[in-house]
Amino acid sequence: MFVEEIFGDYAAFAPIIIMLISALILPAVHFAGKRHTVTWAVALVLAVVSMVINAYMLVDGFTGTTLGVYEYDAYTGVMLLLFQIVLFLAILVSNASTETTRLHVGAYYALLTGATTGMMFVAGSSDLLTIFVGVELTSISSYALVTMKRNDSRAAEAGVKYVIVGGLSTALTIYGISMIYGLTGTTDIAAIAASTAIDGMNWILAIGLVCMVAGYGFKIAAVPFHMWAPDVYEGASSPVSLFLATGSKKMGLSVFFQIFLVLFVAGSSLSAICGEEVQYLFAIIAAFTMTVGNVVAIAQNNIKRMLAYSSIAQAGYILIVMAVMTDYALASGMFHMFTHVFMKGGAFLIVGALICAGLGEKISDYKGLAKRSPFLAAAMLLFLFSLAGIPPLAGFTSKFFLFSSALGGVDGLTSQWVWLAFIAILNSAISLYYYARVVKAMYIEKGESTEKIKIPAAFTVAIVICVVFVIVLGVYPQLIFDYCETAAAALLL
Amino acid sequence: MFIEYTWLVPLIPMLCFLIVGLLGRKTPEKGGYIAIAGALLSFIISALIAYEYLTGDAYPEPVTSQIAWFAIGDFEINLGYYVDGLTCMMMLFSSFISTLIFIYSIGYMHAEGARKTRYYAEVSLFLTGMLGLIVSSNFLEMFIFWEVMGLCSYLLIGFWSFRHNDGDAASANAASAAKKAFLVTRMGDVCLMAGLFILLGEFHSLDYTQLFDPANIANADSTMITLGMLLVFGGVIGKSAQFPLHDWLPDAMAGPTTVSSLIHAATMVKAGVYLVARGYPLFIQDPEVMLFVGIIGGVTAFFAATMALNNYNIKKVLAFSTVSQLGYMILALGAGGYLVALGMDMGGAEGTALIAAGTAGFTAGCFHMMNHAFFKALLFMCSGSVIHSVGTEDMRLMGGLGKHMKITSITMLLGSLSIAGFPLFSGFWSKDLVLDIALEAGDQTIWFTVLWLLAVITAFMTAFYMFRMWFMTFMGEEGANTQHCHGESPKTMTAPLVILSVFAVLSGFLIMFGLDGMVSFEVTDTAFIVGGGHAGGMVHYFEHLFTNPYTYLTIVLALLGIGIAYLMYAKKTVDPGRFNKHGESGLYKVLANRWYFPEFYNWVSWKFGYGVAKGVNYVDRQVIDGTVNGLSAAVVGGGDTISKMQTGNVHDYTAVILLGVSVLAALFVVIAMILGGM
Repeated sequence: MFVEEIFGDYAAFAPIIIMLISALILPAVHFAGKRHTVTWAVALVLAVVSMVINAYMLVDGFTGTTLGVYEYDAYTGVMLLLFQIVLFLAILVSNASTETTRLHVGAYYALLTGATTGMMFVAGSSDLLTIFVGVELTSISSYALVTMKRNDSRAAEAGVKYVIVGGLSTALTIYGISMIYGLTGTTDIAAIAASTAIDGMNWILAIGLVCMVAGYGFKIAAVPFHMWAPDVYEGASSPVSLFLATGSKKMGLSVFFQIFLVLFVAGSSLSAICGEEVQYLFAIIAAFTMTVGNVVAIAQNNIKRMLAYSSIAQAGYILIVMAVMTDYALASGMFHMFTHVFMKGGAFLIVGALICAGLGEKISDYKGLAKRSPFLAAAMLLFLFSLAGIPPLAGFTSKFFLFSSALGGVDGLTSQWVWLAFIAILNSAISLYYYARVVKAMYIEKGESTEKIKIPAAFTVAIVICVVFVIVLGVYPQLIFDYCETAAAALLL
Repeated sequence: MFIEYTWLVPLIPMLCFLIVGLLGRKTPEKGGYIAIAGALLSFIISALIAYEYLTGDAYPEPVTSQIAWFAIGDFEINLGYYVDGLTCMMMLFSSFISTLIFIYSIGYMHAEGARKTRYYAEVSLFLTGMLGLIVSSNFLEMFIFWEVMGLCSYLLIGFWSFRHNDGDAASANAASAAKKAFLVTRMGDVCLMAGLFILLGEFHSLDYTQLFDPANIANADSTMITLGMLLVFGGVIGKSAQFPLHDWLPDAMAGPTTVSSLIHAATMVKAGVYLVARGYPLFIQDPEVMLFVGIIGGVTAFFAATMALNNYNIKKVLAFSTVSQLGYMILALGAGGYLVALGMDMGGAEGTALIAAGTAGFTAGCFHMMNHAFFKALLFMCSGSVIHSVGTEDMRLMGGLGKHMKITSITMLLGSLSIAGFPLFSGFWSKDLVLDIALEAGDQTIWFTVLWLLAVITAFMTAFYMFRMWFMTFMGEEGANTQHCHGESPKTMTAPLVILSVFAVLSGFLIMFGLDGMVSFEVTDTAFIVGGGHAGGMVHYFEHLFTNPYTYLTIVLALLGIGIAYLMYAKKTVDPGRFNKHGESGLYKVLANRWYFPEFYNWVSWKFGYGVAKGVNYVDRQVIDGTVNGLSAAVVGGGDTISKMQTGNVHDYTAVILLGVSVLAALFVVIAMILGGM
């Protein structure tokens, strides 16, 4: 196939190579051209090229290894696609958003692309250290992205907080990794899983695992490591919030899948030692994460903060995968990550579009939106109801998959995680309460102004893409779910 | 040849929704004619399907067909249709009544202008939800339409968000009412969804054909079925406004009257009753479940009727009567199912006798559902006609309208006689069947005797409050708003009234022309069949009906209720104030405040729910987050405060994080110790 012809031995690396080139040349393009639109177009085109190459490789069933550290298989392909969609949406609107056009545009796009490169690198790694490097590349780019709105004190505060939290999480992670390395003498995940060096549960193993869970728990804002997320999402510009909430968080979840699912996959020697304990640990984290996220979201009046807490809750749902630890659960979790990109991404896009149009971020600012912009109100209604899990939208289908995976139906036994599914169902009911508040403001309450709202065309395009997928994935989930199943099988063998 | 096109029944209103939504502005009546045409077409197709099915060879076996929708793990989820006697009856009356309501809307929504487009689009989608729910071939498909309907009810109840209710202080405005309806029914939906998950885990499918197969039921864990069906019934409690989740329905009156009519008669609340009837083969696996169903139904019937006794809002009285009548339906299904369940446990000749007796409960519940659809649609549209003409919902401002609105007053009288159970009117037949089955179940357990007693008292109260309403509205001296009366409503409104009144009066006789076979429930050795007619059973009941002294008791009670209402509100020889100390008695206040349920819910949601959220938020932002905020603010603030970061705050902050890590570690160790790994 053409990818191998062009990239030769580096074929597995092809999507990343394109992104790297993009990240490196974008500042130069901006320096040479001084035209925002040109830089934007280059970033967008290269993101699309990378996405097309990856999609081609994924559909073609390509597998391969580059440099002995990076392995491309169905799992990598699906995750790459996810990150590229997020990047595409974020770049698409960045040239139109008043929040991002005044930044150092070259650096801005380079950082976005660079962060994505880190994520993509993570998705193909199978070694604790390479994963660590990828995560750091993403994190450091993200810190800069958050603080780029330099005149905004909220952004500065959020950035500082993000750096400190991120630094601590990095420290914890590397500490955990060193413990595990000390025990097993390797950082290769599959080798650790099969390692016979550990003969039973001990403190070092426990502390190593907990530190890694905590360190990466920061990245996905799992309770009790979630406090940075609302401030950061609120402080950052909307395209960056979108990127962090849907992209960077998904990378964190992917790390969980790649490390802990592989370590504790049924039958590995490590799973015999403490597999069930880890499952329960994750089940409890999942339950708390979704509950705290949803309950606190009720009390929010700022829509970005509300969406941030709702993101925390959504991560909690996806953590069900870590408790159940089956192929089916993993496939469902990945599918939910896709639907989450479109519904949460769509919601952030609308918030961003309205900020451009001069609307505030308070829920009360959305009063009477249905009159002022029927399109945005209807799209927001779809996204929010999809997040709440109302059929037949994508959010319902993916939650249905995810929660039913906790029933353990595949082997016909009623699983011990049924209670987790119930907590999740209860949580989606709670979530409807705060989503309905926004819908009520948009549709039922009267606003002060009835002036029509005009938003930039790029936002309209991005929102339409999200709307289409929220509906299509709800009605025809197999479009992506089939790939998720192949990917789950590839990761867990 | 028509059954293959059953999927068209919900699809046509769906297309109408799209057409009206996108292009409705430019069509005459802003899309109204398109919505009517869609509903009418659905009705015609339903009629053809019903005719073909009922005369076909397959009858009474269900005709079903489905295509694969998606497969996850080893769960296969399909999309398809499922046609049996119950489906036929439901889609016929739903589409028929909806057609009439849409026609009526042309007159009623006349003054709405451009907002009519939104109205007609939403009611079309609403009808899609109901018809889709009826023809679905599995529980997941049904659940999707169930939620579509919930969403539409939210938008429709809030349609007049700017209006406030009059005549009932306990009610909220339309915006809150809409949200309440949505969230309260959603509480039921959570239970339903949980129940469906249990069934899915147990049966590995949600297809009716799989779930209703006695072989599969025998293989499944019976406690899980019991738990699953109790949770499914939770959905029914929410959707069909049963106690204790009944409170949203009276508030939902804030929507346009046509919407109330649609919700109460043809769609929405009937969906819950339909779900019980549809899930009957699973419900009857456990007598205790059916006892619970019966208790909820009987208590609801009584409880709601008490609240209608002293309400002054014409629509609210009707709303409470709907809740009460739904209680009757649920009671009948519960009592009948209880007998069937006992009979199946018992086996032998005695068991067979119980099953035969119990199946009449199914027929009674479904029969009452259909009759209620006709007379309640009629009553709501009559009340709409009155409100349209006098511009208020407060009955104290009406009175003496009979002279001005002849057609409305006569049709409403027919509807009231029907719901009150006046002999030979439709409500009489089905209500007495309901009472009869409750009494019969009372032979097995004292619970049903108590419920029967409540139901009999309810019958009396129903007659009283319905005629209190009718007399207050149409008789007596003219009220303050009667002077503003524009006279009789336009023909688009009165024509549906006349058509419906014919059905409201006569639909009871349908039971003698094959309806008993269409909605009967049969337990054979190998299957459960809906439809197929053991008409002999019903003949037995009719003999029983007229030889049974209790029938005459209810007739006397109904007449008594009407008589007392006449003396109090038409002839005014008895002062209602004598009974309630002129509105000062404790019981009067309790009823006027709906047993304080709205206040209780407000307290729970505001003080408790929102309070908890606020509390958690406070802890989250101030205690955990405060240190972090202080720290970063210090950094942003400038150099002189940085020193602070180096001394105290960083320690605090790292302490918080390390605390989190320690909690996790401790948790991990505790789990390990519990599981015995450490």
